[in-house]
Amino acid sequence: MLLNGSGLPARAGALALSIALAAPAFAETFVSAPGESTSGAYLDYMRTVYARAGFPEMIQLPLTSFDNEYELHGMAAESLEQSEDGLTWTFRLREGLVFSDGEPLTAEDYVFALQRAASTGYDFGWYWDFAGGIANWKAVAEEGADPSTLGVRAVDDLTIEVTTETPKPYLPSVVSLWYPVPKHVWDEHGDNYATNVDTIVASGAFTVESWEKSNNSMVLVRNPTYNGPWPSQVDRVEIDPTLGAPEVGLPAFMAGEVDFTPLNAGQIPFVEGRMPEAVRQNAIFATSYIAFDMDSPPFDNVDVRKALYYAVDREEMTETVLRNLAIPAGSILPPSYPGFSEEIAAQAVFDPERAREHLAAAGYPNGEGFPEVEIWYRDQGGYNGAITAPMLQYLQAEFAEHLGITMNIRVMPIQDWMNAMLNRENNLFLAPYEYDYIDPSNFYGIFYNGGRHHHHVPEYDALVAAADANPVWEERVDLYRQAEQVMIDNASIVPLVHPIQMFAVSDRLSGPSVEPNSQGMTPMSRLVPYFYAHLEVEE
Amino acid sequence: MLSFILRRLVSVAVTFFVVSVVIFVMMHSIPGGPFDAGDMPLPPAVRERMMAQYGLDQPLYVQYLRYMAGVLRFDFGVPFQSPGETVVSLLASAWVPSLVLGGLGVLIGAPLGILLGMAAALRRNSWVDYLASAVATLGLTVPVFVTSMLLILVFAVWLGWLPSSGWGEPRRWILPIAAYATIPMATYARYTRSAMLDTLNRPFVTVLRAKGLSERRIVFGHVLRNSALPMVTVFLPMFIGTATGSIFVEAMFRIPGLGSYFVSSIRTRDYPTEMALMLMLTVMFCLAYLISDILYAWLNPRIRTGGRRE
Repeated sequence: MLLNGSGLPARAGALALSIALAAPAFAETFVSAPGESTSGAYLDYMRTVYARAGFPEMIQLPLTSFDNEYELHGMAAESLEQSEDGLTWTFRLREGLVFSDGEPLTAEDYVFALQRAASTGYDFGWYWDFAGGIANWKAVAEEGADPSTLGVRAVDDLTIEVTTETPKPYLPSVVSLWYPVPKHVWDEHGDNYATNVDTIVASGAFTVESWEKSNNSMVLVRNPTYNGPWPSQVDRVEIDPTLGAPEVGLPAFMAGEVDFTPLNAGQIPFVEGRMPEAVRQNAIFATSYIAFDMDSPPFDNVDVRKALYYAVDREEMTETVLRNLAIPAGSILPPSYPGFSEEIAAQAVFDPERAREHLAAAGYPNGEGFPEVEIWYRDQGGYNGAITAPMLQYLQAEFAEHLGITMNIRVMPIQDWMNAMLNRENNLFLAPYEYDYIDPSNFYGIFYNGGRHHHHVPEYDALVAAADANPVWEERVDLYRQAEQVMIDNASIVPLVHPIQMFAVSDRLSGPSVEPNSQGMTPMSRLVPYFYAHLEVEE
Repeated sequence: MLSFILRRLVSVAVTFFVVSVVIFVMMHSIPGGPFDAGDMPLPPAVRERMMAQYGLDQPLYVQYLRYMAGVLRFDFGVPFQSPGETVVSLLASAWVPSLVLGGLGVLIGAPLGILLGMAAALRRNSWVDYLASAVATLGLTVPVFVTSMLLILVFAVWLGWLPSSGWGEPRRWILPIAAYATIPMATYARYTRSAMLDTLNRPFVTVLRAKGLSERRIVFGHVLRNSALPMVTVFLPMFIGTATGSIFVEAMFRIPGLGSYFVSSIRTRDYPTEMALMLMLTVMFCLAYLISDILYAWLNPRIRTGGRRE
């Protein structure tokens, strides 16, 4: 299969060159952008995801990547092929790709990246096991097996072969997070190569000019040796994570010192009133839902779970306390996410009468005798931080009013919350989940064979397993729909909302990155390789 | 005087030791660790390997002794959040903006506060007093991030005279220093007013007036000097406190100073940086109080003898 590429045709390149030679020197174009995290150690996505500094996704070239319509494109990979038995994928790299120091980018740099990740405690290792299903991942990562036994190998300089434990028809999407590690530099400097501007070499559209460690602000410039798809349209991108807080970002935006900024709930009406043309919104591929321990009373009773499912007025919640911050969720899949079904989502209706009937059927008419319960959620910033507190207070009031249930709220650090969920320390959780790769298997996988919620429903597991392995897209989607229907019938979760993010964008910026896509959304915070390569700016 | 200084130095050493133990134990008592930041916990085997790599699998007292042995050689270890550097090099570069911000903030705010306090004391119960007291009270009660936001709104957004944030060229320093200076200004205004009122009501001032000295000589030659004692107590510790940076001012104005490390080292469980910051602060505060005590004793010899006549 040949993958899309977006490199300029040779003739257009020649034309651009002749114009550049004839025209007087232009001023350097730059974009000033907010970053995401002020802390982070390595500018290397394959060393750490949760403690990465800045945007390593801008400086290294993934095998594949998504555009703003969520179409998959080959980046380093020019073509790919799945074996007959579905267990082996072969990725063919483009010829002539080089690092910023002139060294060739080879299959070995990608293979080494995963071998190192598996053997040195990569904090995103679960992804390559859970989503990638890379053969022998657990043995290497957890049992100390030799990294060379991992199911990835460089057949030659331009060919990577990946073997998975089970057929993974969606692996091309999974490898959108597979970046190379410049092995020739790592051999000399070790992991610390990615902590120093002088030793970092780039294979992507940008390279690093400077890096201020105290707040992880950095200046990225166009990589002069880059000859892959999606070259940068601007000369410099100045990224400052301290501008990522809307409270700091909006004043700087209004003073013309940053080209776009996220907005908080209080700022949205102000910006909509004063500069409506600057506002962009993006429905994040994420879902907030209520999860249960289905083996623990009172939530071991399906009628109790269904009572909660029907007692939530999602429309009212998103039009009032979560206005501009979220849209109703009827499915675990967000709207416009591949595999999303209107039919499935439409089943999540607000029906308090039906909710009370289910509660009565469970032996708790009007909530009488129902034990006090406590919902646990994680203390978090960003879009989750903006919605969780008002959402939980709303739910608390809804359940009390419609069901006579007293639900207390407990907030805790993320890691404690995750451990509590994995170790079943409570029976009720508010759980957010955001996609890692774009395929329905990502969302359905978190409930598969236990998953993170101890969700053991054989019928569901069988459908998801069949869907995961099925190479025919339509058949896969149908199987996933059946699987979600099982979840609904079982009231395994209560889908609540899909968060949205709002931004203000300067009229200096143009290009597809800041234009709404066909769904009316402008994904400005997740599709990093696409976003920064397709930003245009007036000089 | 020498034995007084020696006694104080011994107490500094004891304080340093006690603080280092308390901080080290507290730091490690908080649930979680440097490798628990991700959404998904690391597999136990992987986590154990990482802990062993950084020596975190050793008993706590061994970790403490190793760290403190390094501290004695001025080696504060390698920061977890920036493994390619040392803690010393990391903090050294961040200290400069914090020193500039805090130092200039105090050097500008303190004299202004003293003038404000003097004016209030000398014109007690007049509109000058009320205005000065109101300014001082506002400076102490309005959070500095609100002051910062107002300054940005007026001078950067509405008037467009100054950049809203950032560091580097001196014109970017103006707003954060102005925001920061409100704290020492307000503090000094309050201290000066009450100290001067106290001194002005003392009998020797009445005697000086009876002797026919001018108000200017009384105020600047006698009252201010006698009011200086409590101000000395405040000045150096406040200077040290500000030199370590204001987390809020640095965040609002995007200043690459120490403030961010106080937050990030705790959030990321960067033990070496966390310890280094707390130990440096401890030493600086101890020295500041030591110098204050010496100045105090010099200004008022009764203090060093505990009030006894020798």
